[in-house]
Amino acid sequence: MSVVQQSNAPNSSSGGGSGNLYDVLELILDRGLVIDAFVRVSLVGIEILKIDVRVVVASVDTYLRFAEACNRLDLESGRKAPSQLTDLVGEVTEGGAKGKSKGALTGAIEAFSDSFQKGQESEPEEEERPARKSSASSKRRTAHRREE
Amino acid sequence: MPTYVYAITDAGHPLRLDGITGVGDPAAELRTVRTKQLSAVVSDAPADLRAKRRDLLAHQNVQERLLADGPALPMRFGLVGPDDAQVASVLEEQRDAYAERLKEIDGCLEYNLKVARDEDDLLREVMAESADIRRLNERTRDNPAAHDDRLALGELVSQQVQARQDRMGTELVDRLTPAAERTALAEPTKTHFLNVSFLVKREKAGAFSEAVHQEAEQRGEAYTFHLNGPLPPYSFV
Repeated sequence: MSVVQQSNAPNSSSGGGSGNLYDVLELILDRGLVIDAFVRVSLVGIEILKIDVRVVVASVDTYLRFAEACNRLDLESGRKAPSQLTDLVGEVTEGGAKGKSKGALTGAIEAFSDSFQKGQESEPEEEERPARKSSASSKRRTAHRREE
Repeated sequence: MPTYVYAITDAGHPLRLDGITGVGDPAAELRTVRTKQLSAVVSDAPADLRAKRRDLLAHQNVQERLLADGPALPMRFGLVGPDDAQVASVLEEQRDAYAERLKEIDGCLEYNLKVARDEDDLLREVMAESADIRRLNERTRDNPAAHDDRLALGELVSQQVQARQDRMGTELVDRLTPAAERTALAEPTKTHFLNVSFLVKREKAGAFSEAVHQEAEQRGEAYTFHLNGPLPPYSFV
Protein backbone atom coordinates (compact mmCIF):
# COMPACT_ATOMS: atom_id res chain seq x y z
CA MET A 1 0.00 0.00 0.00
CA SER A 2 1.06 3.57 -0.28
CA VAL A 3 2.12 5.76 2.55
CA VAL A 4 -0.36 7.90 4.41
CA GLN A 5 1.32 10.45 6.56
CA GLN A 6 -1.13 12.04 8.89
CA SER A 7 -0.04 15.06 10.79
CA ASN A 8 -1.81 16.88 13.53
CA ALA A 9 -3.76 13.81 14.47
CA PRO A 10 -6.49 14.17 17.08
CA ASN A 11 -5.40 14.29 20.76
CA SER A 12 -2.40 16.40 19.90
CA SER A 13 -4.34 19.62 20.19
CA SER A 14 -2.76 20.82 23.40
CA GLY A 15 0.16 23.04 22.60
CA GLY A 16 -0.99 23.55 19.05
CA GLY A 17 0.24 22.16 15.78
CA SER A 18 3.81 23.29 16.06
CA GLY A 19 5.02 20.02 14.61
CA ASN A 20 3.42 20.62 11.26
CA LEU A 21 3.72 24.34 10.73
CA TYR A 22 5.32 23.89 7.35
CA ASP A 23 2.34 21.88 6.17
CA VAL A 24 -0.18 24.51 7.15
CA LEU A 25 1.89 27.45 5.94
CA GLU A 26 -0.06 27.88 2.72
CA LEU A 27 -3.34 27.74 4.61
CA ILE A 28 -2.32 30.34 7.18
CA LEU A 29 -0.83 32.67 4.59
CA ASP A 30 -3.13 32.16 1.66
CA ARG A 31 -6.57 31.19 2.94
CA GLY A 32 -8.56 32.35 5.87
CA LEU A 33 -10.95 35.23 6.05
CA VAL A 34 -9.95 38.73 4.98
CA ILE A 35 -11.67 42.02 5.66
CA ASP A 36 -11.60 44.12 2.53
CA ALA A 37 -11.28 47.44 4.26
CA PHE A 38 -8.29 46.29 6.31
CA VAL A 39 -4.71 46.05 5.16
CA ARG A 40 -2.68 42.93 5.03
CA VAL A 41 0.81 43.32 6.35
CA SER A 42 3.16 43.21 3.41
CA LEU A 43 5.02 39.95 3.74
CA VAL A 44 8.20 39.86 1.72
CA GLY A 45 8.73 36.52 0.06
CA ILE A 46 5.18 35.29 0.31
CA GLU A 47 4.48 35.88 -3.37
CA ILE A 48 6.76 33.07 -4.45
CA LEU A 49 4.38 30.59 -2.92
CA LYS A 50 1.85 31.56 -5.52
CA ILE A 51 3.73 30.81 -8.71
CA ASP A 52 1.34 29.13 -11.11
CA VAL A 53 2.56 25.57 -11.38
CA ARG A 54 0.89 25.20 -14.74
CA VAL A 55 3.05 27.91 -16.23
CA VAL A 56 6.11 26.09 -15.00
CA VAL A 57 4.88 22.83 -16.48
CA ALA A 58 4.46 24.24 -20.00
CA SER A 59 8.00 25.42 -20.47
CA VAL A 60 10.97 24.33 -22.54
CA ASP A 61 12.87 23.52 -19.37
CA THR A 62 10.12 21.17 -18.29
CA TYR A 63 10.01 19.50 -21.70
CA LEU A 64 13.73 18.88 -21.63
CA ARG A 65 13.55 17.56 -18.12
CA PHE A 66 10.76 15.13 -19.02
CA ALA A 67 12.65 14.01 -22.11
CA GLU A 68 15.72 13.35 -20.03
CA ALA A 69 13.71 11.49 -17.40
CA CYS A 70 12.19 9.28 -20.10
CA ASN A 71 15.55 8.56 -21.68
CA ARG A 72 16.85 7.55 -18.31
CA LEU A 73 14.02 5.20 -17.45
CA ASP A 74 14.90 1.58 -17.61
CA LEU A 75 12.22 0.56 -20.03
CA GLU A 76 12.98 -3.12 -19.96
CA SER A 77 12.51 -3.46 -16.24
CA GLY A 78 9.48 -1.24 -16.49
CA ARG A 79 7.87 -3.73 -18.83
CA LYS A 80 8.26 -6.59 -16.44
CA ALA A 81 5.30 -7.96 -14.62
CA PRO A 82 3.48 -5.44 -12.47
CA SER A 83 4.30 -7.47 -9.39
CA GLN A 84 7.91 -6.41 -9.74
CA LEU A 85 7.07 -2.80 -10.18
CA THR A 86 6.85 -2.07 -6.50
CA ASP A 87 10.44 -3.09 -5.93
CA LEU A 88 11.53 -0.80 -8.70
CA VAL A 89 9.74 2.14 -7.18
CA GLY A 90 11.57 1.67 -3.94
CA GLU A 91 14.87 1.79 -5.77
CA VAL A 92 14.28 4.74 -8.03
CA THR A 93 13.04 6.84 -5.18
CA GLU A 94 16.48 6.75 -3.72
CA GLY A 95 18.21 7.25 -7.02
CA GLY A 96 19.37 10.50 -8.52
CA ALA A 97 16.11 11.26 -10.25
CA LYS A 98 14.64 13.28 -7.45
CA GLY A 99 17.50 15.67 -7.17
CA LYS A 100 17.55 16.36 -10.85
CA SER A 101 13.84 16.70 -11.15
CA LYS A 102 13.58 19.43 -8.60
CA GLY A 103 11.81 22.23 -10.39
CA ALA A 104 11.91 25.95 -10.03
CA LEU A 105 8.88 26.06 -7.83
CA THR A 106 10.06 23.50 -5.32
CA GLY A 107 13.31 25.41 -5.17
CA ALA A 108 11.52 28.65 -4.52
CA ILE A 109 9.35 27.20 -1.81
CA GLU A 110 12.32 25.59 -0.14
CA ALA A 111 14.22 28.84 -0.31
CA PHE A 112 11.31 30.54 1.31
CA SER A 113 11.01 27.80 3.87
CA ASP A 114 14.69 28.13 4.70
CA SER A 115 14.51 31.83 5.27
CA PHE A 116 11.30 31.25 7.16
CA GLN A 117 13.08 28.82 9.44
CA LYS A 118 15.97 31.19 9.91
CA GLY A 119 13.43 33.62 11.24
CA GLN A 120 12.56 31.29 14.07
CA GLU A 121 13.80 32.17 17.47
CA SER A 122 14.41 30.16 20.58
CA GLU A 123 12.80 27.08 19.11
CA PRO A 124 15.04 24.16 19.88
CA GLU A 125 13.24 21.54 17.87
CA GLU A 126 13.43 21.58 14.11
CA GLU A 127 10.54 19.36 13.27
CA GLU A 128 9.48 20.99 10.05
CA ARG A 129 10.81 19.57 6.89
CA PRO A 130 9.53 20.18 3.42
CA ALA A 131 6.91 17.58 2.64
CA ARG A 132 8.94 16.28 -0.26
CA LYS A 133 11.80 15.26 1.96
CA SER A 134 9.69 13.61 4.57
CA SER A 135 7.86 11.66 1.90
CA ALA A 136 11.17 10.41 0.59
CA SER A 137 12.36 9.28 3.97
CA SER A 138 9.04 7.75 4.68
CA LYS A 139 9.21 5.78 1.46
CA ARG A 140 12.62 4.58 2.39
CA ARG A 141 11.26 3.34 5.65
CA THR A 142 8.52 1.52 3.83
CA ALA A 143 10.97 -0.01 1.42
CA HIS A 144 13.06 -1.09 4.32
CA ARG A 145 10.13 -2.67 6.08
CA ARG A 146 9.30 -4.64 3.02
CA GLU A 147 12.76 -6.10 2.85
CA GLU A 148 12.56 -7.35 6.40
CA MET B 1 -2.59 51.68 17.64
CA PRO B 2 -3.40 49.29 14.73
CA THR B 3 -5.27 46.12 15.62
CA TYR B 4 -4.27 42.65 14.48
CA VAL B 5 -7.29 40.36 13.95
CA TYR B 6 -7.03 36.60 14.59
CA ALA B 7 -10.53 35.23 14.35
CA ILE B 8 -14.24 35.96 14.55
CA THR B 9 -16.65 33.95 16.65
CA ASP B 10 -20.24 34.27 17.73
CA ALA B 11 -20.92 36.08 21.00
CA GLY B 12 -21.58 32.84 22.85
CA HIS B 13 -18.08 31.44 22.31
CA PRO B 14 -16.25 31.06 25.66
CA LEU B 15 -13.05 32.62 24.22
CA ARG B 16 -10.65 30.93 26.61
CA LEU B 17 -7.48 32.84 25.85
CA ASP B 18 -5.62 32.20 29.09
CA GLY B 19 -2.08 30.98 28.66
CA ILE B 20 -1.71 31.87 24.99
CA THR B 21 -0.33 35.04 23.46
CA GLY B 22 -0.40 36.85 20.16
CA VAL B 23 2.04 37.86 17.44
CA GLY B 24 5.09 40.04 17.95
CA ASP B 25 8.15 40.11 20.16
CA PRO B 26 7.45 40.50 22.99
CA ALA B 27 4.23 38.61 22.31
CA ALA B 28 1.18 40.84 22.24
CA GLU B 29 -1.56 40.26 24.76
CA LEU B 30 -4.78 38.90 23.30
CA ARG B 31 -8.05 40.69 23.88
CA THR B 32 -11.52 40.64 22.43
CA VAL B 33 -13.71 43.10 20.58
CA ARG B 34 -17.36 42.33 21.19
CA THR B 35 -20.59 43.30 19.57
CA LYS B 36 -24.04 42.04 20.44
CA GLN B 37 -23.80 38.97 18.18
CA LEU B 38 -20.13 38.50 17.39
CA SER B 39 -16.69 38.65 18.95
CA ALA B 40 -13.27 39.15 17.41
CA VAL B 41 -10.02 38.00 18.98
CA VAL B 42 -7.43 40.74 18.46
CA SER B 43 -4.20 42.19 19.79
CA ASP B 44 -2.04 45.22 19.17
CA ALA B 45 -0.30 44.87 15.80
CA PRO B 46 3.48 44.98 16.07
CA ALA B 47 4.98 47.65 13.82
CA ASP B 48 7.45 45.31 12.14
CA LEU B 49 5.29 42.22 11.70
CA ARG B 50 6.65 39.59 9.32
CA ALA B 51 5.78 35.95 8.71
CA LYS B 52 8.16 34.62 11.31
CA ARG B 53 7.75 31.14 12.65
CA ARG B 54 6.92 32.50 16.10
CA ASP B 55 4.19 34.76 14.70
CA LEU B 56 2.67 32.11 12.48
CA LEU B 57 2.57 29.75 15.43
CA ALA B 58 0.91 32.37 17.60
CA HIS B 59 -1.73 32.92 14.92
CA GLN B 60 -2.27 29.19 14.54
CA ASN B 61 -2.41 28.57 18.29
CA VAL B 62 -5.25 31.05 18.67
CA GLN B 63 -7.21 29.21 15.97
CA GLU B 64 -6.68 25.82 17.55
CA ARG B 65 -7.65 27.05 20.97
CA LEU B 66 -10.87 28.63 19.66
CA LEU B 67 -11.71 25.64 17.51
CA ALA B 68 -11.81 23.42 20.57
CA ASP B 69 -14.78 25.31 22.03
CA GLY B 70 -16.91 26.21 19.04
CA PRO B 71 -16.95 27.61 15.53
CA ALA B 72 -14.49 30.39 14.73
CA LEU B 73 -13.66 32.06 11.43
CA PRO B 74 -9.87 32.05 11.10
CA MET B 75 -8.45 35.22 9.55
CA ARG B 76 -5.64 35.08 7.03
CA PHE B 77 -2.29 35.77 8.64
CA GLY B 78 -1.30 39.42 8.81
CA LEU B 79 -4.66 41.15 8.73
CA VAL B 80 -4.53 44.54 10.43
CA GLY B 81 -7.23 47.13 11.01
CA PRO B 82 -6.87 50.75 12.12
CA ASP B 83 -8.14 50.20 15.68
CA ASP B 84 -10.58 48.20 17.84
CA ALA B 85 -13.46 50.52 17.03
CA GLN B 86 -13.06 49.79 13.31
CA VAL B 87 -13.04 46.06 14.01
CA ALA B 88 -16.28 46.47 15.94
CA SER B 89 -17.90 48.36 13.11
CA VAL B 90 -16.90 45.68 10.59
CA LEU B 91 -18.42 43.04 12.88
CA GLU B 92 -21.58 45.10 12.91
CA GLU B 93 -21.66 45.73 9.16
CA GLN B 94 -20.91 42.14 8.17
CA ARG B 95 -22.94 40.64 11.00
CA ASP B 96 -25.23 38.53 8.84
CA ALA B 97 -22.53 37.26 6.50
CA TYR B 98 -20.26 36.23 9.37
CA ALA B 99 -23.12 34.60 11.29
CA GLU B 100 -23.98 32.63 8.18
CA ARG B 101 -20.42 31.40 7.73
CA LEU B 102 -20.11 30.50 11.37
CA LYS B 103 -23.20 28.35 10.99
CA GLU B 104 -21.73 26.64 7.94
CA ILE B 105 -18.55 25.58 9.71
CA ASP B 106 -20.15 24.78 13.06
CA GLY B 107 -18.91 21.38 14.22
CA CYS B 108 -16.60 21.04 11.21
CA LEU B 109 -12.87 20.63 10.77
CA GLU B 110 -10.60 21.04 7.78
CA TYR B 111 -8.43 18.23 6.44
CA ASN B 112 -5.86 19.03 3.80
CA LEU B 113 -4.81 16.20 1.53
CA LYS B 114 -1.81 16.27 -0.76
CA VAL B 115 -1.12 13.37 -3.06
CA ALA B 116 2.05 12.69 -5.00
CA ARG B 117 2.89 9.93 -7.39
CA ASP B 118 6.36 8.67 -8.05
CA GLU B 119 7.38 10.33 -11.29
CA ASP B 120 9.12 7.36 -12.87
CA ASP B 121 6.09 5.23 -12.20
CA LEU B 122 3.91 7.73 -14.03
CA LEU B 123 6.38 8.10 -16.89
CA ARG B 124 6.47 4.33 -17.35
CA GLU B 125 2.71 4.30 -17.67
CA VAL B 126 2.78 7.19 -20.14
CA MET B 127 5.39 5.44 -22.23
CA ALA B 128 3.68 2.09 -22.14
CA GLU B 129 0.55 3.60 -23.62
CA SER B 130 1.96 5.70 -26.42
CA ALA B 131 3.89 4.36 -29.39
CA ASP B 132 4.79 7.91 -30.44
CA ILE B 133 6.40 8.61 -27.14
CA ARG B 134 8.32 5.34 -27.18
CA ARG B 135 9.61 6.08 -30.69
CA LEU B 136 10.72 9.59 -29.77
CA ASN B 137 12.29 8.27 -26.61
CA GLU B 138 14.38 5.72 -28.44
CA ARG B 139 15.38 8.22 -31.11
CA THR B 140 16.54 10.82 -28.61
CA ARG B 141 18.28 8.31 -26.40
CA ASP B 142 20.34 7.05 -29.32
CA ASN B 143 20.94 10.49 -30.74
CA PRO B 144 21.69 13.19 -28.16
CA ALA B 145 21.84 15.87 -30.87
CA ALA B 146 18.16 15.46 -31.84
CA HIS B 147 17.08 18.61 -30.08
CA ASP B 148 13.73 19.04 -31.82
CA ASP B 149 12.77 15.45 -31.15
CA ARG B 150 13.75 15.91 -27.57
CA LEU B 151 11.47 18.93 -27.22
CA ALA B 152 8.67 17.12 -29.00
CA LEU B 153 9.07 14.16 -26.66
CA GLY B 154 9.08 16.41 -23.62
CA GLU B 155 6.01 18.26 -24.77
CA LEU B 156 4.05 15.09 -25.48
CA VAL B 157 5.05 13.59 -22.16
CA SER B 158 4.26 16.80 -20.34
CA GLN B 159 0.75 16.86 -21.83
CA GLN B 160 0.19 13.24 -20.91
CA VAL B 161 1.47 13.79 -17.39
CA GLN B 162 -0.79 16.78 -16.97
CA ALA B 163 -3.83 15.00 -18.33
CA ARG B 164 -3.26 11.93 -16.19
CA GLN B 165 -2.64 13.94 -13.07
CA ASP B 166 -5.81 15.95 -13.66
CA ARG B 167 -7.75 12.75 -14.14
CA MET B 168 -6.29 11.08 -11.05
CA GLY B 169 -6.96 14.20 -9.02
CA THR B 170 -10.58 14.43 -10.13
CA GLU B 171 -11.10 10.74 -9.46
CA LEU B 172 -9.68 10.94 -5.97
CA VAL B 173 -11.69 14.02 -5.07
CA ASP B 174 -14.88 12.44 -6.42
CA ARG B 175 -14.34 9.35 -4.32
CA LEU B 176 -13.61 11.25 -1.11
CA THR B 177 -16.22 13.99 -1.49
CA PRO B 178 -19.10 11.89 -0.13
CA ALA B 179 -17.24 11.62 3.19
CA ALA B 180 -17.01 15.42 3.52
CA GLU B 181 -19.34 18.40 3.75
CA ARG B 182 -17.47 20.55 1.26
CA THR B 183 -14.25 20.49 -0.73
CA ALA B 184 -11.86 23.24 -1.78
CA LEU B 185 -9.32 22.54 -4.48
CA ALA B 186 -6.03 24.38 -4.22
CA GLU B 187 -3.14 24.78 -6.63
CA PRO B 188 -1.12 21.62 -7.02
CA THR B 189 2.47 21.89 -5.87
CA LYS B 190 5.52 20.86 -7.83
CA THR B 191 5.61 17.64 -5.83
CA HIS B 192 1.91 16.93 -5.37
CA PHE B 193 -0.50 16.66 -8.27
CA LEU B 194 -3.41 17.01 -5.89
CA ASN B 195 -3.81 19.58 -3.15
CA VAL B 196 -7.32 19.67 -1.76
CA SER B 197 -9.03 20.57 1.48
CA PHE B 198 -12.13 18.91 2.87
CA LEU B 199 -14.55 20.28 5.41
CA VAL B 200 -15.51 17.37 7.62
CA LYS B 201 -17.99 17.06 10.45
CA ARG B 202 -16.20 16.41 13.71
CA GLU B 203 -18.06 13.19 14.33
CA LYS B 204 -17.25 11.94 10.84
CA ALA B 205 -13.54 12.70 11.06
CA GLY B 206 -12.65 9.09 11.80
CA ALA B 207 -14.63 7.79 8.85
CA PHE B 208 -13.09 10.39 6.57
CA SER B 209 -9.58 9.48 7.61
CA GLU B 210 -10.43 5.84 7.07
CA ALA B 211 -11.68 6.63 3.56
CA VAL B 212 -8.37 8.34 2.77
CA HIS B 213 -6.42 5.36 4.06
CA GLN B 214 -8.48 2.97 1.96
CA GLU B 215 -7.94 5.09 -1.11
CA ALA B 216 -4.21 5.14 -0.44
CA GLU B 217 -4.15 1.39 -0.04
CA GLN B 218 -5.80 0.88 -3.39
CA ARG B 219 -3.46 3.23 -5.20
CA GLY B 220 -0.37 1.31 -4.37
CA GLU B 221 3.19 2.00 -3.43
CA ALA B 222 3.97 4.66 -6.02
CA TYR B 223 1.64 7.15 -4.36
CA THR B 224 2.24 9.21 -1.27
CA PHE B 225 -0.78 10.55 0.57
CA HIS B 226 -0.19 13.34 3.01
CA LEU B 227 -3.22 14.04 5.17
CA ASN B 228 -3.06 17.00 7.49
CA GLY B 229 -5.73 17.68 10.07
CA PRO B 230 -7.82 18.41 11.94
CA LEU B 231 -7.21 22.06 11.16
CA PRO B 232 -9.12 25.30 11.57
CA PRO B 233 -11.33 25.68 8.49
CA TYR B 234 -9.08 28.19 6.73
CA SER B 235 -10.24 27.12 3.28
CA PHE B 236 -13.95 27.38 4.00
CA VAL B 237 -14.51 30.89 5.27
